[in-house]
Amino acid sequence: MNRRTWPPLLLGAAMVAAWELYVRLAGIDPLLLPAPSAVLRYLAGHGRVFARNGAATLAELLVGFACGVAVGLALGILMQLWRWFRQAAYPWLVATQMVPIPAVAPILVLWFGFTMTPRAVTVALMCFFPVAVSTVDGLGAVNPELIRLLRSFGAGPWAVVWRAALPSALPRIFSGMRVAMALSVVGAVVGEWVGSTGGLGYLMLQYENRGETAGLFATVGVLTAMGIALFFLVGWLEALVLPWKRHARETL
Amino acid sequence: MSELPAALCARNISRTYRDGDRLIQAVAPTSLELAEGRFIAIVGPSACGKSTLLNMFCGLDRPDEGTIEAPGLGGEGLLGRVGYMPQNDLLMPWRDVAGNAAVGLECLGTERALARSRALAHMARFGLQGFEHAFPGQLSVGMRQRVAMLRTFLCDRRINMLDEPFGKLDAFTRASMQAWLLDYWQENRCTILFVTHDIDEALLLSDEVHLMSPRPGRIILSLAVDIPRPRSYGEVVTSAPFNRLKARILAQLGMAP
Repeated sequence: MNRRTWPPLLLGAAMVAAWELYVRLAGIDPLLLPAPSAVLRYLAGHGRVFARNGAATLAELLVGFACGVAVGLALGILMQLWRWFRQAAYPWLVATQMVPIPAVAPILVLWFGFTMTPRAVTVALMCFFPVAVSTVDGLGAVNPELIRLLRSFGAGPWAVVWRAALPSALPRIFSGMRVAMALSVVGAVVGEWVGSTGGLGYLMLQYENRGETAGLFATVGVLTAMGIALFFLVGWLEALVLPWKRHARETL
Repeated sequence: MSELPAALCARNISRTYRDGDRLIQAVAPTSLELAEGRFIAIVGPSACGKSTLLNMFCGLDRPDEGTIEAPGLGGEGLLGRVGYMPQNDLLMPWRDVAGNAAVGLECLGTERALARSRALAHMARFGLQGFEHAFPGQLSVGMRQRVAMLRTFLCDRRINMLDEPFGKLDAFTRASMQAWLLDYWQENRCTILFVTHDIDEALLLSDEVHLMSPRPGRIILSLAVDIPRPRSYGEVVTSAPFNRLKARILAQLGMAP
């Protein structure tokens, strides 16, 4: 706990307190807006349900994210290596992002059935684009003088990508991965809404149908916490992979 | 200019760039022979095509006309056969000192771990002991330049092109790096082509100095530097031959005393 973590925590606590007071004093119908204490109580009382469904969503998220990042990286590298591929593929990649994912999700269920696959694919579809774009940008931003230096050592195009372009692009790629991680939560929930027998998105639909608003709020809370944790996980991974960033006073 | 066999020989090479609609001739037809084991300096005003010339010598750029031959090197092409040290140190912030120094060898095909151990073996010689695992952001400018030099010399090429390697250093650091380079060359006797805009530096270090004209660059004066070795800065810059040679270069530049 340092000075930077206190202000957001204090503000959050103040807002939760205001919410609690408002619900109690104004006598709001708990079907419309349950008090935070009621949400917490629900969460505590149904811990196993949330754990089981949370684990299912987490698995989809991680598998989908990993696949999306791998595909995004590969596409980015190929687009950087081959200009013609970049020109040919870029408009189509943009087009994939214009297709509304909720509209694609039923098709994926049709293809893959009520398994984890359609949800993971939905997540991957959301994830790969920011990673691909940040990879292309990052690889393109490598210092051309450094490329010349490596060529003077006899390095070929692959060696240049591997030793210069990719490492220097990594900070940008990690930025793309953060965006992708935030999007992947949306992808997982949408995938579960369309067709699933478990997961936090599925749970939300159940609570909504049964009119258990506290459960709905608790699910949103768990999803949000999971998203934040995964977001920080990417940051932690970045610090692990790029130890030099902590030391760097200047970069190329 | 010398009886030694030529390590690299350029005949009537020229290079013109296209910049939008304009054609810029960076190097006018120029011939130059780098004799084996000599320390050769090219001096000229900024933007006179010195770097273009150097780039052609290490295979990064091709002359429009003329030929470059390196009879001693054998094989095809110059890339990977001629050592090159650019103006900027170009250290990679994600590699530590040893990793940066090893990258040239790695590109030449040496296995990563072996390249690294070779680099580590030279740390003391290059004044980098104790900083093997430091990242470039933690180094002084002089140390960064020594890492860059180690990266080039570790490749152990018989011909090395140094493009204003000390241009960005302060006077004190530069003087110590010059002394160090002289020592190193005295031991290793590779062929060095050293580009600089500093006349004193050229005369201090080299066996022969070639003066380039403003763009389009060509060699307008070639002088043998007959100052005995080993040299030290204090002795050289106060010696008679130094002043005689410097006066000739300045006269050629229209800045005669």
